[in-house]
Amino acid sequence: MLVVKDVSLSFGNVPVLAQMQLQAQPGELCVLMGANGAGKSTLLRTIAGEYKHYRGSILLNGQELHHMPVDAQARQRAVLSQQLNLQMPFTVAEVVAMGRYAYRASERLYDKEIVTYALKLLQVYDLKDRSYPTLSGGQQQRVQMARVLAQLLEAPALHAMDYTGKKMLLLDEPVTGMDILHQQLALQLAVQLSRQGVLVIAVLHDFQLAAAYAQRVFFLKNGRVYAQGPVATVLSPLHIRHCFGVDVSVLHHSLCAYPLVVTNTAATLFSSSALQATNAY
Amino acid sequence: MQNKKSLSLSILSTALVFVMIIAIGTGAMHMSPLQVIGILLKGIGIQLPVTYTEQMPAVLWMIRLPRVVLAVIIGAGLGISGAALQGLFRNPLADPGLIGISAGASLTAAMLIVLHVYLPFMVSGSIFQTYAQNIITFLGAMLTVLIVFRMSVDGGRSIVSVMLLSGIAINALCSAFTGLMTYVADNEQLRNITFWTLGSLGGATWQTVLAVLPFVLVPVLMLPRMAPALNVFALGEQEAMHSGVQVNKLKTQLIIYATMAVAAGVAVAGIIGFIGLVVPHIIRQFTGPDHHILIPSTALAGAILLTVADLLCRTIIAPAELPVGIITAITGAPVFIWLILKEKRLIAV
Repeated sequence: MLVVKDVSLSFGNVPVLAQMQLQAQPGELCVLMGANGAGKSTLLRTIAGEYKHYRGSILLNGQELHHMPVDAQARQRAVLSQQLNLQMPFTVAEVVAMGRYAYRASERLYDKEIVTYALKLLQVYDLKDRSYPTLSGGQQQRVQMARVLAQLLEAPALHAMDYTGKKMLLLDEPVTGMDILHQQLALQLAVQLSRQGVLVIAVLHDFQLAAAYAQRVFFLKNGRVYAQGPVATVLSPLHIRHCFGVDVSVLHHSLCAYPLVVTNTAATLFSSSALQATNAY
Repeated sequence: MQNKKSLSLSILSTALVFVMIIAIGTGAMHMSPLQVIGILLKGIGIQLPVTYTEQMPAVLWMIRLPRVVLAVIIGAGLGISGAALQGLFRNPLADPGLIGISAGASLTAAMLIVLHVYLPFMVSGSIFQTYAQNIITFLGAMLTVLIVFRMSVDGGRSIVSVMLLSGIAINALCSAFTGLMTYVADNEQLRNITFWTLGSLGGATWQTVLAVLPFVLVPVLMLPRMAPALNVFALGEQEAMHSGVQVNKLKTQLIIYATMAVAAGVAVAGIIGFIGLVVPHIIRQFTGPDHHILIPSTALAGAILLTVADLLCRTIIAPAELPVGIITAITGAPVFIWLILKEKRLIAV
């Protein structure tokens, strides 16, 4: 269980998070959405322990984040960040094995099995001896996902354990650069993990992916939570217009279990405030 | 991985022993490898059926061996610190000179040469003096590194690119003051400073060996323990933190050990460039980037390279000898240029 209470954070004089309130339960797949600069990634990184100068309180399973040592944090949560830049020619298997670093002091019975399992689950087992920098962007993203999975798991099978109250997974735009098949697979994996009790928080840009997989959606605007709740209530044309500045229609189709968000291209163009501003001259 | 590691380490250790025996045997009085082995083993009480002249053991024990052992120790320190710093900067072109180690040590050494008459504890020629000289040079190097490191700290973490820029600035400042020292130095001191900046193992005695040994031994024993964390660190500072690496502790330890390993050698032998840069690179071509293998291998390879370079510098124009820093620069700089050309695209990122 994660409780973010009154968290504010600023870089220099620029406030990025303002009195942020957020609660998430184990086993939930939460999706953070918002326009660029709304504070999604910063919130995720603060929860990941990157910024120590936040005000307010972040409780992870009842423990204040400030008081948790780095390795204890690493055994409870895994993070997939954007823009990883690994230049050293480590092999794919070596990169995934780095995920086990936090467990180096404890018994390492399953390390090898977990790494192999993660490689297979993300369909990068065939690439395991390839040098990481030679992979394509999407393949690299899958390898990183496998590494993060290896950090999260405590047994070489997804369904072997119940992780309720033990594990949290933070994903910052996890599907960027992946082809459509692997986007679906990656998010299905996130759903599977959430069913095993893992608390998953993901930053996504794609309404369709969010609608299909999220149990709870948070809309962020100007460093605050603007709206939160199940997909059906949060993904409304009104909220989307306020948070993203685009006009959309939310459609329902009998073949589709979730709402479809469609942008009204023409309307968006002509009602955009930028265009009005230029027209004023 | 374990196989690859023992293979790499056994090849390099064999090569090191081989190179050491050749280097010990080569000089004005030539000794064959068998004679060298014979004399060395007699030292520990094993008699081999090898004949040698009476002077040979004296030359070996008093002149050749301390010099070769000093080359091994300093070379190991330079190699291992190169590997540690390249891991820290996550950049295969990082070098002990970049963060001010050499510049700080140079300045301190120049100050010691010029100002030592005013320092009461520096007069006697005892091992205490050599130790004091080493410790002061080490402290000078440490101080410059510390300034560079502090300059790069923002919000509790050090930014590596800022550290490189600070290194350039502090290097410039240090060389300005070193210039000032040369300006006020008399002829004898000037000669000393110049020779010192060119680097030489000429003054090797068992005393200098003992003075340098602990400074290199500690990093050689401690740095391999940091290999797992250094591997994860290659992913990036934030990712290393997410994976459970205590990033700030790791960075501080790396800088202290790298400075130790380089500064003590610099204090007795002067500036010997390019070994710290080139050795990790050559080793990585064979072993890959895994620090479990890389760190011990670079210590051995650095030792081999400096032993060979020192052998060359005292044989090429015998009976005179070249400063070893010139040899390492003449061979190292072209390798460096080749590396830059090869990795142009990586650097541009």
